[in-house]
Amino acid sequence: MNILLIANKKIVTIEQVSILQTLWFWISLIELLMIIFLLYKLYSKNNVAELSDLETKNLKNSKNNNIDMDNLMNSIHNSRNLYKELTKKCHPDRFVNDPKLKISEEIFQEISENERNFDKLTLLKSRAINELNINF
Amino acid sequence: MWHKIMVITDWFGEMSERYKLIKDFNRAAKYSYIAGNAPTLLEVKITSGESSFRHAFSKWMSGGFRIKALSGRSLSKSELIEVGRVVLDNDELVRKLISLGWDTLEVHDNTGFSGCKWKLMDFSNLGGILK
Repeated sequence: MNILLIANKKIVTIEQVSILQTLWFWISLIELLMIIFLLYKLYSKNNVAELSDLETKNLKNSKNNNIDMDNLMNSIHNSRNLYKELTKKCHPDRFVNDPKLKISEEIFQEISENERNFDKLTLLKSRAINELNINF
Repeated sequence: MWHKIMVITDWFGEMSERYKLIKDFNRAAKYSYIAGNAPTLLEVKITSGESSFRHAFSKWMSGGFRIKALSGRSLSKSELIEVGRVVLDNDELVRKLISLGWDTLEVHDNTGFSGCKWKLMDFSNLGGILK
């Protein structure tokens, strides 16, 4: 229902809308949004692969693991150079016809396994100094 | 009723654990940069992640774990990949990230639009045992 008011030569149009009508509009809009959200959740749930019991258990157990962030930072920035240095100096080809060949092979294997773990590489470096008598 | 309360407490616990992890990472990155061990300052942020990488534990609209290198220069692709590989090689960290609702690892540099993305589930080694 439109009402025209003329005051001080200004024409103002007021559109009256009942409160009930507005309220129902918003309720239906919220319901529609909820339906869309639930359909989206259903769709995304169907697309996600289910995990086995073992996998779920493993994941839940790892929630409270403490991560050594300082080691992670060192690994990000310094492990590459240390790895290169160690592989060069501890390569088993440098110990052919030497009684330390077996130890060098063992250390070299561990170095390859822990390529991006700075703490482990540091331990292996000190082991190489002690057991293979290498000077860094 | 008790189950519902437990679920809500779990949710809050997870959220605080997520923010604690990010805080720890940023703190370690900052100290490493200040001490001169790191040439670039790294920073972690939560992003929406890649929808195709989602898994059963994924958080809605916050499944991306973005590591941003605030280096001032654009990092080369090999440098970005190296940062990502170090995180992915840490089985414990990857599992923790997945369990806390992240599904995508992103590594970006400060300038430009180049970056790398990995699906965390591919690197979790979930069926196996941690080293």
